[in-house]
Amino acid sequence: MTQTNDTGQDERLDRALQSLPRGVEPTRDLWPRIEARLERTAAEAPAQAPRRAWAWQAAAAVLLVAGTALLTATLVQRSRDASLAQSPPPAAVPGVRAMPAVFGPAHAPNPEYDAARQQLSAMLQQKMAQMPLSARQKLEANLAEMQRAAAEINAALDQQPGDPLLEELLLNTYHDELAMLAVVNQLTSTSDAGTPADATRMQL
Amino acid sequence: MRLNFAGAGAGQGCVAFPTSPPSRVGGTTRWTLAEAQAGSEIDRAREVAEERALVEAAAAGSTAAFEKLYRRHVARVHGLCLRMTAQRETAEDCVQETFVQAWRNLPRFEVRSGFATWLHRIAVNAVLAQKRRRFESLGVDGSVDDVIAETLADANVSDPGARRDIEAAIASLPRGARHVLVLCGVYGYSHDETSAMLGIAVGTCKAQLHRARQLLGARLESAEEDR
Repeated sequence: MTQTNDTGQDERLDRALQSLPRGVEPTRDLWPRIEARLERTAAEAPAQAPRRAWAWQAAAAVLLVAGTALLTATLVQRSRDASLAQSPPPAAVPGVRAMPAVFGPAHAPNPEYDAARQQLSAMLQQKMAQMPLSARQKLEANLAEMQRAAAEINAALDQQPGDPLLEELLLNTYHDELAMLAVVNQLTSTSDAGTPADATRMQL
Repeated sequence: MRLNFAGAGAGQGCVAFPTSPPSRVGGTTRWTLAEAQAGSEIDRAREVAEERALVEAAAAGSTAAFEKLYRRHVARVHGLCLRMTAQRETAEDCVQETFVQAWRNLPRFEVRSGFATWLHRIAVNAVLAQKRRRFESLGVDGSVDDVIAETLADANVSDPGARRDIEAAIASLPRGARHVLVLCGVYGYSHDETSAMLGIAVGTCKAQLHRARQLLGARLESAEEDR
């Protein structure tokens, strides 16, 4: 009986809540103040978001370049060692993925950035082909994990645009990526190990 | 079954159905149910297409298009902010912030997803950010009641006194419970959507809604007794 009463009360409450008007007009017109704020950021208003997206892309491109340069330095060292050991490097590495630098479908990457990214990715792929299998697998798994994380954060950003926490997480992901390259460098560098790793630490 | 809209012919400011002309029976204009449904679907599709065009124009930099979007959505965004904050001034600040953020993020908006839902998410973020900034220094604002009362009067709803009681009871709820009740109970978002918007666990969302309903029920009962 009590349950029936509760159910009845719940239904009445639901009906009451659903009967409320969803829209409530503000007591004054807010548009002039909004428009003034849009005008203050006028030049940037429509272009701000693409610029912002571009800023992210540029930041990731810098990371990509830094990472690639770092690996190149490491691998030059490694190939010197490899030639000493007279072991030929593997010819191709199927499935090796380059740096993530993914921004999600909504970010409409700039074509110039895309071209640069592809070029740098190809370079990285080539260098990774010269790495030992175990290190390469580790790097590949970590890159894939970060790629997945970045994609998830980007998807969440599409739902919650401008969310500062998500933006910070995205930036952290790219920082982690560079940090991982520093680890790779430490793992692979031999005699003059200090130089590239220190350089990376400074960039971080 | 036939719907009978006497005098609802074209040219009288009513919804114009782009189907075949209505039949005239004994001086009365009749629309079939199928025609009415087709008409409302076409109207809805037209509305969606119009909104899409406005969003695209605004994303390309047209403030005129953005103003039209503002006019279309401001009442719902304001209703949401007002009920979540229970503060008239804060709600208006949140509305402004929502539309400024929307303008800045328009190029990132995916046209296929709902613009209203996207705006609501931004509005919820604006409310939560305001809450962090003001650190709950302000209590419930009595002016909310006045704003709601005006709206109810304008909307010419039945039993405005009872609805005013509900709004007052919602405004008096603790913040967490109020947020969940407004999003789930009034605006019809699911627990998953609400918890994602508020950044809380689904379980917490359910518990808050349960608490909110209990408090609301008790407060409405007491309001009823007072009347």
